[in-house]
Amino acid sequence: MNASALLAIVAFAGALLLVFGYLYRIAAKSHAKGELADEGIRILRWALLGQLVIFLILAITAFLT
Amino acid sequence: MAVARAAPSVQTASTGLPPYTKSLLKWSFAIGVIPPVALVAALALKSLYMLDYVHVLTGGAWTGFDLYTGLILSRILRSLEVPARVEVAKRLTPTTFFILPSLSAVAITAGIYLAQKLGEFNLNDPWILAAGAIVIILVAQGFGIFLPNGVRIFLELAKAKPDPALISKLTMRNVRLAASQAVFQILIILVMAHLAVY
Repeated sequence: MNASALLAIVAFAGALLLVFGYLYRIAAKSHAKGELADEGIRILRWALLGQLVIFLILAITAFLT
Repeated sequence: MAVARAAPSVQTASTGLPPYTKSLLKWSFAIGVIPPVALVAALALKSLYMLDYVHVLTGGAWTGFDLYTGLILSRILRSLEVPARVEVAKRLTPTTFFILPSLSAVAITAGIYLAQKLGEFNLNDPWILAAGAIVIILVAQGFGIFLPNGVRIFLELAKAKPDPALISKLTMRNVRLAASQAVFQILIILVMAHLAVY
């Protein structure tokens, strides 16, 4: 296993989660005010899931080197 | 065909995300999954040739996109009125949403694996350090500006009354950033060319 590669990928995924977490808070506030439809929150969750899937596949590579 | 696709956005502009957003996002995800899967395949097959191919192809596609956006699309968008820019953003943002982060992440990861396998991953080598510094700048721009702007465009589009000026501003910011990324990528290719030859 390539520990440094795995660490780097986890760090990137962590940064991604931080960015999305911040944006999710903004979106949740807009949703609470009635400015943002449910679809907006739903698409944000799907977008995050999609990005995490890509990072998950990348994480597999750390076990192949 | 383009006219037929443009029509729904006009009808649904005041009710949130246009109907084609989901299909463009799905397309972006379907394409965005290919590079990491190809990297997994290259490593599983222990093929240096395929690893090099994945690195060069993803890096080239990433650079090409940034050059195209920074040098060509930016000029086109600047010549358009705000409503037309918004229409482009509605389609450009979902289409690139998964593809670009995937290309950049795979180009960088494959590059590190390739350097390790070729015995070039020497952190005392100034050329490797230069490549690392440029990669850090590119990643910081991607995570810190590109991705959040893309998500903010989505969120604005999903509102009952999207702000066209904000969408246009965020899109133009990403386009300008692509131009700056293109400059850094030209620099990193200069470093790569040096590493490949010397």
